[in-house]
Amino acid sequence: MRIVHYLNQFFGGLGGEEKANLPLETKEGAVGPGKLLEQLLGSDARVVMTLVCGDNYAVEHQAEMIGASLDKIRQADADLFVAGPCFQAGRYGMAAGALCSEAQSKLSMAVITGMAEENPGADLYREFLYIVDSGANAANMREALARMASLGRKLIERAPIGLPKEEGYLPHGLIRDQFVVQTAAERLVDMVLAKLANKPFESEMAPTAFAPVPMPPPIKDLKKAKLMLITDGGLVPKGNPDNIQGSAATRWGSYKIANCDDLSGADYEISHGGYDPQFVRQDPDRLVPLDAMRELERAGVIGELYDEFLSTSGLANPLSNTRRMGREMAEKAKALGIDAVILTST
Amino acid sequence: MQLTLALHSITSIYPSDSTRLEGEALAVDLTELSGLLLEDSSLAAVDFEIVSPGESCRAGPVFDIVEPRAKVPGSGPDWPGILGGPLTAGMGTTHVLRGAAVTVLREESVGDSRGAVGYVLEMSGAAAQESHYGSLHHLIVIPRTRTGLPSHTQQRAYRIAGLKTAVYLARAALKVASDEIEMFEPVGPAVNGREGLPRVAYVGQIFSRQRKPAIDEPILYGADTDGMLPLTLHPDEWLDGALVPSYHNSLGGAETYFYQNHPVITELYRRHHAREINFVGTVATIASANNFDRERNCRFAASLVKWALNADGAVLTKFGGGVPHTDLSETARLLEGMGIKTAVQVTDLARDRRIESALLFNFPEVNAIVCIGGNSTSWKGPRVERAIAANPEMVERLRGPVEIEAMNVIGVANQQGASRLRAMVY
Repeated sequence: MRIVHYLNQFFGGLGGEEKANLPLETKEGAVGPGKLLEQLLGSDARVVMTLVCGDNYAVEHQAEMIGASLDKIRQADADLFVAGPCFQAGRYGMAAGALCSEAQSKLSMAVITGMAEENPGADLYREFLYIVDSGANAANMREALARMASLGRKLIERAPIGLPKEEGYLPHGLIRDQFVVQTAAERLVDMVLAKLANKPFESEMAPTAFAPVPMPPPIKDLKKAKLMLITDGGLVPKGNPDNIQGSAATRWGSYKIANCDDLSGADYEISHGGYDPQFVRQDPDRLVPLDAMRELERAGVIGELYDEFLSTSGLANPLSNTRRMGREMAEKAKALGIDAVILTST
Repeated sequence: MQLTLALHSITSIYPSDSTRLEGEALAVDLTELSGLLLEDSSLAAVDFEIVSPGESCRAGPVFDIVEPRAKVPGSGPDWPGILGGPLTAGMGTTHVLRGAAVTVLREESVGDSRGAVGYVLEMSGAAAQESHYGSLHHLIVIPRTRTGLPSHTQQRAYRIAGLKTAVYLARAALKVASDEIEMFEPVGPAVNGREGLPRVAYVGQIFSRQRKPAIDEPILYGADTDGMLPLTLHPDEWLDGALVPSYHNSLGGAETYFYQNHPVITELYRRHHAREINFVGTVATIASANNFDRERNCRFAASLVKWALNADGAVLTKFGGGVPHTDLSETARLLEGMGIKTAVQVTDLARDRRIESALLFNFPEVNAIVCIGGNSTSWKGPRVERAIAANPEMVERLRGPVEIEAMNVIGVANQQGASRLRAMVY
């Protein structure tokens, strides 16, 4: 088993912060923590090369450093690329994460690193990499390396990888299905009884916190404002010209309403499997309130209504998807000089 | 209130010239049964198939699965509100054909958000092992409704056919000595002798107002849930015919079978019998279509748990799709605010498999969550010897090989607490 190991200038033995500007260096064999790593991996393992780079240099010349490192790893014909552990060192963690990520995707090889959960590199790369939870304290070097060695070996051998707690890596923040012995009902009752007895329990899902969306400033003069209607209720012209999927939609459409005061059910259909569409089918204005908006327009309450409405289906849609569509819609509205948008949902 | 279940173990079903129970074998006179079902003028014809565990067989789309049960005369009507008057369920003795199931197929798939096959019954292979239904002996009922009937009339005919068949079969056991008697200890807020044990309630959604109930749709004692407010039910009412699921259910589903064998209620009873808890009762509730409705329902449900059942803790399950999580979590949040500890069961909605997409609520106090997976499990169902469906097109489709998602195999991702599928964070 051939290993290439990446270290920063400090763990590579070149010096402290004063040496943080040193460029990438290549050393033959194991250096510093690499010697322990070699031992922990077993007798068939050899650190054939150690890459050492100053923390500042790695961050300031990241593309160049990564390119050079990938060439070296390729030349070394390595089975495993190991970076760190980096503990709480931020620049070190960022470099290790970037290197591992590139080596994994470009060289299709096993990679492993270690960091504290608070390391900014963890946030950025944990979804894609196995990052062993090293904790913040470098005194845990042996323990962190032991986990990295064990997980690294499994990755090379393509052995099944257990859960974060069992293997000691930072959760990717992903979900996978698993069949378990207990029924959901048994798990449910166990959990409430533990909670009642003030005993620890393990929730099967962690709530996610989202940054609050700041309230936009009010419209200065509604009488002059240009408004747009957007819906995620899946209203599309008959035939669904943009093939907007009824569930987990990846597309959205923009549909003309110029010279129209009232939407007719005969012209539209619903691509959305999550609500009872019969009432919108009867009268699409119930979802996209064009009739009401025209009245307001005529009465001079609003300046004008943009002559297309945007539509997609909001059912069972992952956030990675909706974020992109939301951004695209916002960009369009902004480019058109829209002052306000009315979003209708179901 | 005291329900007694007389359990008869069934290990085979076969067609015969008379319906009777011989040991663990159930003989069925399909001609007589057919005549009984065709009393319903909505049905033009009905077909039957018998399938056993392990058979190379796939059937679908499944409308519902019912455990054959019949009440001893004098114990109250079978399926009160549907086949009899709306009298309280859960009294007297009910005979049960344990190991048997009546499985009713739809003529056409409803084609909801999870694809065109609808719910599929798998009798062999890996998928069958992950559903309780794969271990049962099924009498499959294939109703053929008259042409031109509206959908609600068709579905009511499916419902009635399934329930009538279940009663018809189990009546064969009324005069036969049962293998086992199951009785339930008294439960309720006023039960004595359980001082000091944690008082636990169950709050179960029985409908989601994402859709209006169909015309004539029987759900609770034969009535649809329009205008329904949360109400208390004795646990035995759930087990003994007060409830059937809605025609429309999604994300793993709910079947009559798991009301009769309600996983949460039977687990609470088990703990009650073990004297680990004081099972104080249940609240049946609905998921709302709008915030006004939600504010009212969640508060009424929470108040019943607090003031009618005087519970210390509650477990909550949902019905239907994504939106019902809002009612589920809001009710749990209100309960926590009243000092009642909660655990909730949710469906994992993260199709991108990212934890950020999994939950539709974020209340710090609603922190005990059981999460049923299903978004990354599917099986390559092999070609089967018997494919059973109401139309030839579906027969061909189900014959396979066919890729089937976990949420489409009936029983696997069930929302009533029966699922062994778990979403694991990694």
